[in-house]
Formats: sequence, structure tokens, C-alpha cells
Amino acid sequence: MNVPYSWLKELVDFSWSPEELANRLTLAGAETEAERLTDIPFDNIVIGRVEEISKVPGSDHLTLATVFDGREKLAVVCGAPNVAAGQNIILAKIGAELKGGFKIKKAKLRGVESFGMICSERELGISDDHSGIMVLEDSFSLGAPAFEAIGLDDHVLSLDLTPNRADLLSVMGVARDVACLAGSKIKYPTYMLEEVRDEAAKFIKIDIADPEACPRYAARVIRNIKIGPSPWWIKRKLLLCGIRPINNVVDITNLVMMEIGHPLHAFDYDRFLRKEILVRRAQEGEKFATLDGKEHVLTPEVLLITDGEKGVACGGVMGGQESEVSDKTTTVLLESAYFNAPTVRRSRQKLGLITEASIRFEKGCDPNAVEKALDRAAYLLGEYTGGEILNGVVDCYPNKKYPVVIKVRPERVNAVLGTDIPKSRMVEILQNIEYGIKDRGHLEVTVPTFAVDVTREIDVIEEIVRLEGYDAVPTRDKNKGPLFSPYPEDEQFCDNIRRILTAQGYDEIYSGGMADKKLLEQVSGAQPAVEILNPIADDLTVMENTILFTLLKSAGHNIAHRNVDLKLFVIGKIYKPGAPPLEEEEIGILVTGKGEDTWYNRGASLGFHDLKGAVEAFLGWNRITVKGYEPAARPALDAAESMAILGADGELGYIGAVGENIARLFDVKQKLWVAVISFNKARRGIGPVKPYQPLPKYPAAPRDLAVVVDEKVRAGELLDKISKEGGSLLESVSIFDLFRGKQIGDGKKSLAFSMVYRSPERSLEAEEVNALHQKIAESLKEGFGADIREA
Amino acid sequence: MSGIGDVHRILAEALAAVGSAQSRPELEAIGVKYIGRKGEITSVLKTLKDLPLEERKAFGAAANEAKVKLETAIAEAVQKFAGPALDPTFDPTLPGIVHRLGAIHPINKTMGQIVDSFQRMGFAIAKGPDIETEYYNFEGLNFPPDHPARDMQDTFYVEGGLLLRTHTTPVQVRTLEKVKPPVKCITPGKTFRNEAISTRAYYVFHQVDGFLVDEGVTMADLKGCLVAFCRDFFGEKLKLRFRPSYFPFTEPSAEVDISCFLCNGKGCQLCKFAGWLEILGCGMIDPNVLAKVGYDSEKYTGYAFGMGVERIALLKYMVKDIRLLYENDIRFIRQFL
Repeated sequence: MNVPYSWLKELVDFSWSPEELANRLTLAGAETEAERLTDIPFDNIVIGRVEEISKVPGSDHLTLATVFDGREKLAVVCGAPNVAAGQNIILAKIGAELKGGFKIKKAKLRGVESFGMICSERELGISDDHSGIMVLEDSFSLGAPAFEAIGLDDHVLSLDLTPNRADLLSVMGVARDVACLAGSKIKYPTYMLEEVRDEAAKFIKIDIADPEACPRYAARVIRNIKIGPSPWWIKRKLLLCGIRPINNVVDITNLVMMEIGHPLHAFDYDRFLRKEILVRRAQEGEKFATLDGKEHVLTPEVLLITDGEKGVACGGVMGGQESEVSDKTTTVLLESAYFNAPTVRRSRQKLGLITEASIRFEKGCDPNAVEKALDRAAYLLGEYTGGEILNGVVDCYPNKKYPVVIKVRPERVNAVLGTDIPKSRMVEILQNIEYGIKDRGHLEVTVPTFAVDVTREIDVIEEIVRLEGYDAVPTRDKNKGPLFSPYPEDEQFCDNIRRILTAQGYDEIYSGGMADKKLLEQVSGAQPAVEILNPIADDLTVMENTILFTLLKSAGHNIAHRNVDLKLFVIGKIYKPGAPPLEEEEIGILVTGKGEDTWYNRGASLGFHDLKGAVEAFLGWNRITVKGYEPAARPALDAAESMAILGADGELGYIGAVGENIARLFDVKQKLWVAVISFNKARRGIGPVKPYQPLPKYPAAPRDLAVVVDEKVRAGELLDKISKEGGSLLESVSIFDLFRGKQIGDGKKSLAFSMVYRSPERSLEAEEVNALHQKIAESLKEGFGADIREA
Repeated sequence: MSGIGDVHRILAEALAAVGSAQSRPELEAIGVKYIGRKGEITSVLKTLKDLPLEERKAFGAAANEAKVKLETAIAEAVQKFAGPALDPTFDPTLPGIVHRLGAIHPINKTMGQIVDSFQRMGFAIAKGPDIETEYYNFEGLNFPPDHPARDMQDTFYVEGGLLLRTHTTPVQVRTLEKVKPPVKCITPGKTFRNEAISTRAYYVFHQVDGFLVDEGVTMADLKGCLVAFCRDFFGEKLKLRFRPSYFPFTEPSAEVDISCFLCNGKGCQLCKFAGWLEILGCGMIDPNVLAKVGYDSEKYTGYAFGMGVERIALLKYMVKDIRLLYENDIRFIRQFL
């Protein structure tokens, strides 16, 4: 909503600068900015008159104008199609600077010298209109500084309105708040309406078939009007509001809408087939052309104003093309109606239109402003079109809307706000915004019908505090509510996962939740996904059903940007269709490329064992048991390197290498290793905190064992065997070397184990340990054909 | 014009200072004071060119000598404060051996900090589904059907008449339905809006909403809570500004601006020269919302607030393009170690 500063000044006495006024309005609930109408400097821009014109030789569109600026005649070349002798215009002389920093200098066009420029509105920065030069009335004195002379040396306040502030959709509405803030009163315009004797009711009959959608429809008839341009004062106000002037009739309806906030529509009365108004729902398939030239096929959702035969307007949205006011119009039917907000909302959604009228009706207009707007516009039409106003308003208002009366308890106001505002101050504020007050102990507040959003005591409380200022509410720093709130276990688990994985050098990525349907189908193996009915982009059409998608997409993005060594993890939601849809969290981890090269270490290539280490680190730290891994195929993984991760109660997730064809979908050619773990399954596996183990009293006996086995023998099998044979005296076993090489032969590997023997009850004898160690070595020889290298 | 006597006096003064210096930095300062680029002896040397030749010779020699003496004295004195001589094969300047740490994503990092702040004020954490019903996302929060307030939040719809929640406020309704007052919760989580992707907007973002319902909760309590949070999060000296606003589920409603933490409200690029940064929305819970969950809105009042995690992260880290938060580029993420 754009409100000219000068217009507010006409209506209210206040002394604030435009910037200060904007700040006051912002703090009273409407975010407001004040800007000069145009940002160009005013120097060397004056009123001039085109004395004579001639063609510029050799050009089909340039005109040489002789312009008188009050003192001298200047030759000015002009390219506008509408330049003509006798026009008063705005002349930018040499030294002026127009919109976009365009500087006026002496110029030569087609060999003709030019000493200035005749300006369009766009060049002056006052609108986007560049269809021709701006032509003024004759009343301005030649040579006068133009902006001051025509009253455009002004500021415009732009208000960013929240949906509850329909009352600010007019200059008068804003003035009402300004008056309250400034402690003054609005000076309402006064006028005398002169009507001719003929009764309007004889010329038009009004019927409403759907009084819920259209509770009120009123009209006046004005005849013998002469269509022409509006006087400058009307054009000026519209320009300042950002509305393009069209002709006197249309401009007056727009002016009154800006002034009072009630939309009006002017019909060409002679285009009505029947001299009546029937407000009804459109029929299914009914055709209608709006005045912007668009053809619509309607449905009963659209409220149609008809002349009893055919549509003439879509109620509250836009008038029809056929009954539009034109140069030939002589009799105008002026509509001032009140349409129900949801009806207008559905109509304009159906039509795909948003208009100044629909914005106002949708947010809520004042049914009791209908007549005021009608009379004001009729008066102006009488003054500025020469029209005769027929006697009376034809008004169909089946269910009159009365002002709401609300009981407001001053003590409740202070109880909600935590304030100490005296009752007298509450009364003052409310009276300043034209609320009626009766003091009956509590306040009986009569809410004016323009305050459409105020229906309850709490709404009145908001009005009071808004205008008193939120600074009036103290800052109370006593804690309220429960003494203690626990930190949920899920949150703790998340924190712990993050803590461990970042400590392991994994960077956390983020899952946006949406995916490309086709791509996701390939990654998930065509698992069903939740579809978005109104997607924002072609590649964001379904909800992610596996966190693997985020891992692959991020790897793709990073590798494309040459970040080829990655250790990533994500904790993200996945979604599966159902009633209700299933939402659960997954933990995804990915490694690819190699570790960092340092002066002490060459970065090794990252692979399965890095990932396994990360998985076991975060699960182990959270006391979640990993029992083992078993081969299990997954749609996106390479079958030869794909395993299920087994927990105490079944599968926790999977781990493996991404299939080459899948990686290619994300433009990745390098090998990607991924692990995906169900958050809930892992979380359920969190074991109890174990009691402490007493520290050992007796010495440990360490022994090493190196064996050569066939490549196909798994290290885990050997470890299991060693543990089993070692029994209770074997405290721990670990692998400290793995070696493959010519010395031990093809298809063989050497594994070296480090064992610690200990008894909790006594010191072990060397012979006893050696015998047990030997027994273990023998068992590996027997069980796996191991060649004992060192024992 | 200084004479040779002055040079001697300055030198004596400098040597005395060297004698009483207690540390290396002190000695370095003495060097700067007397024989640095703008030092006292250096300045004397610079005036030489204006002197007659004879004087210039004598004076120049004295000043040069003073300079050398002082340099030597300082060099000797520095030895006093030097540590033991190092083994040449021991190079302490090689980088330390470290296992590179991973970074937490800035959204989660910021969200964690916000949650932590409210946790310390006694707020519990409540969560709800991302795929919501029309009721919890809108009706239950006093968004009437066919009301322009619906346009404030462009919504994604999915099958089954469901939608992707446009804010985490539905969790407020879900929580209030389940528990009895007093109730004090924050509801961190993911939200979605069908808005064109730009440097300032993305289709998914995060919110931390919060609410308190009890007997006698006032707007003054709301201000107290948010002042405490903003100062905890952005700094002690922060100023707050509460402006009237509109949300269907609160009344009265407010937007909260903080004084720009970069320029302290003087006006800079970050705050677009306004001196204020819009940081969150809040208000007293609308009686309609309380009534819908079966609370007696005469007896109980409550406040609610909500903030965008991304907005706060962008401000805090001065990131100009929100899309960087979602690209998962590790060169970006690793800056948040």
C-alpha cells in the first residue's frame, strides 16, 4: 500500500518528517518505508511550452520542437509520438540529470542541435510510463521548477501490510492511525451532493440471488457525463499512489478507493441489455471476458454480476470488457457493493487475477462504507465530468451488518500484557481510532465496521497495546513454568553420533528431504516414495525414502567441484507412503578418495575398513553391539561388496560399495563406500551402562603369533578360533600386521596376532602360557592349514 | 637543532633502559624507540643534510657510533632472555600431528546452540511429523479456511490430503493436546515452503518454535524470555525492539528486531543501514488456539515464539546466499569446525 506523505498532511496535523512518520507507523504495526517519489535531482527541470514543431529531416520519428521556458526559446529534438504545439510539458534543460543518471547535454541529432529534452514520466522517475511525453494542464507558470510546481516534490510511504490490517488499505485508514499517534483528529473532506430530480431507481433494479456472497449491492446512475482526462490534482494523487490515470470516470473510482478503501466500479449503462443488476453464481462453463481482454470459462465458484442476461463483472475482482467505460460513454452505472471475503478469494483464485479490488474485499471491506464511497465518487463525477447525478441510491442490503459490541475488562488487558495501563488511557486510545466506548465498570466497546478483524476482547487488547507501543510492556525476568525439563534420549543419541563421527574426521552434510523421482527409484530399487502434488522443480518431485540419496548427491556435487577425498555423514529423515506416512531417521556415512597426505604419513586410500571403523566407533561409543556382517544384496550396491550390519536383535543397516552404474547417475566415476543405519534400530540397541571392572592384580603375559594362510581364510575366523581356544586365560587378541608378498607365495597372506594372557586369580607360569599359546597355534594349523611362522 | 651532547644524552638514556629491561619484547620496544625507522637517533641522522659540512662529519660520526653501540647492547641483552640452544634436528616448527576433525553442519550447529539456550531456561523439546495434516498446520492454529493468512505460507501438498508442514508450530497443538499446563517446550525441526529458490529463500528450512502455557503468563514474561535468549545468543549488550505484527495463532503478535551485532545499531551492510535485524516472531497464544485444545483460556494464558534457524545462521556467519547451506560443499562446511 502506497500512501503519499502530502495526502496524509491534508488529512491530519502532525509534524513528523516522512522518515519519522514511517518509523512511528512501523512501531504501530505496519512496516513502513518512506521514499521520495523520484530519486532524480530537481535542478534544471522546468515547466515549458511547445510553441511550434517541425519534422527533423531524414528521420521518421524525430520532431524538432521550439520550447519556451518562460525566458527564452530553445530548440529541442523529441522522439515521442504525442508531442504537439501548444502543449505544456516538462523540460529538462542542459545540466539536468534524469532517471538512471542520464545527463542532459547539448546534443546533435541527425544534424539538428538540441538544447534539452521533453520528459516522459519514466524519465522523471515518477512511473514506468514511457509511451510518450507527459502533457500538463495550462495552469502552471512557464519556467517554474517542475516538481514543486506540479506537486511531485513528495514522499511516498510504502506500507507492508499483514493480512489483519484491511483498515490500512486506504489513505483515510492510515490517517486514522497517524491521528491517533499524533493525538490529533482527521479532517474529513466535506462536499455537497447535488442530485437531479429523476429517480435512479427508475433506471436500475437490483437483485441479489446469493446474499451470503454479496450481502450488499448499491448503485447510482450519472448521466450526461463527458469522458476526458482528469484534472491534474486527481492524476497527481494517483501517480503518487502508483496508479496509472486513465480517464476522469475511472480515475475518480480509483481515487475514492484509495481515499476511503472501498472499491467501486463504473459500468457503461448503455451497454446493459436489461436495465437491471442480478448478482448470482456463474454457471458451469459460462464464458466471460474481463476488461483486461482475457476470456474466462467460469464455474459456480465465481460470483457474477449480470444485467439479468449476461455477465458484466466478476464480483469484487474485475469488470467486464463489454460494459467497460469508453470514450463514447455518456451514462455511468456506479457500483458500490460489499462482497464476502472468502467468495472473492475463491473467485480470484479461479480467475487467476489479483486486483486492487480483490485485495481489499479479500482482506475485508466495510459494508457500511458502501454509501459513503458511492456519494463521494458521485460528487466528484458531477464536478469533473459534467454529469448529472440521478436522485437516490439504489441499495439492496438484505442483511444489515451492525457494529460489534465487545466487553473489555481493563484488568484483563493488564493481566494479558503484564502492564499497568490506566483505564482512562485505554478509553483515550480507542476513542482516537473511532471506537465507541461506554464505561460500565468494564468497557463496552463498539467496534466500527471498518475494523473487520476486531471481534473479541483479545483483538481490542491488541489495538490498545499496538497504539500504546510495545515499549510500554515491561520485560519480566522471572522464570515461569516447570522447574526442570529432561533432555530427550533421541537428542542425546544424535549429539553422540555427531560427536564421535566428527572426532573421526567425518564432515556432516544436510538432507533437504526431496529428490528427483526417477533418480530416487534407481537408488532405492523402486521403493515407493511420497509424491509431492505441487512440486517446485522437476528434480524435487518426491520425498527421499533413503538417506543414500543425499549421500550420493553430495558426493556428486563435491566431486564435480574437485573435492574428491570425502568422509561424510548425515542424520536425516526419510519418508515412506502410508496412512499416516512413515517418517524415520537414518544415519548415512560415506567415504571415497584417500586420506590426507602429511609430512609424517601418506594418506591411504579410503575404503570399507575406514567405514567399518567409523560405524563401530559411533555404535560402540553408544554401547550398541555389532555382532557381525553378512553378505546381503542392496539395489544401489555392488553385489560383491555389500553386507548387512547385524546388531543384537537383527539388522541395523547395511554397508558396501556403490554400484558403478548408480554412481554414474551422479556423475561419479570413483569408488564410493557407504553405510546406512536405521536410527531407531540402533537407538533400541543401546545397552545399559556396565559396572566397572576391577583393575588386574596379576601380571600379564604377552605373546605374538604370526601365521601364513590361504587368501580365502578370513581374519575373523582366525580371531574367533583363537578366542575360543584361549578360553578364560586369554585376556585379549588383536591383529598387528597383515602382509602379502612373494616371500610367502601367491594366494597367501600372513597375519600377525598379539595376545595377552592373564589370570584374575594368580600369576601365570611361563610354561603354562607357552603350552596354551602352542595349543592355539596348533588349532590354527589344523583348522585352517595355517603355516606357523612365529610363535 | 640538536648537538652532539644531545646524541650522548639519548644514548645514555637508551643504554640505561637496555640495562633495566626484563624481557625480549621490552628490548624490541627500546630498539624501535631509538633506532627504529622513526626512532630518536634515526631522526637525528635525518637532520644531518641541513648542517655545514664540518659539523655534519663530526655529528654524523657520533650519531652513527651511538646507533651501533645501542644495537650491540640490545643484541647482547637479548641473549639473557634466550632459551637453551636447540638440537638442530629437532624442528618444532613442523605442524603438529593431528587427526583432522570433521565439522558439524552449520544448520545443525546453529540449531544446537539455540536449543541449548532454551534448554537452560527450562524448555523441554517436543517433535512432530514433517508430513502434517491441514488441521495441525492451519485450522488448529486459527488459520481460517479461505483466509488471506493462508497466503503467508506457500504450501507443498502430498497424497492423502496431507501437506509438508510450513512451520513447526503444529507441534505446539500436538503437545497441548497431550499434556496439562504448565507446559514449556521448544519445537525444533524441518519445515517446507513452496517458494521460488533464491539467495534468500529455499524450499526447506528449519525453525525453532517455543511456547509456555500456565496461569498468569503475560506479554512481559514473553519479552523477558526473548531478551534473555537474544543476549545469550548474540551478546550481552544487545538491544531488542518489539514491533506489532500478525500471526493467526498469536494475539497480540510481535516481530522482534535486535540491534545489529556487527555495527551496534549504527548502520552497516549487514543490517542494510537500518541498525536493526529482524530475528523472530512471537506473541501471546490466541485464545482460539487454547480453546481448540480444550484449555480454559480465561484461566490459562501463554506465549509462543518462532525463529528461522537459517536466517540466524546466515546473519551470524554473514553468509550471503542461503543455497550454500544446502549444497553440502565440504569447502563450505569445513569452515564450521
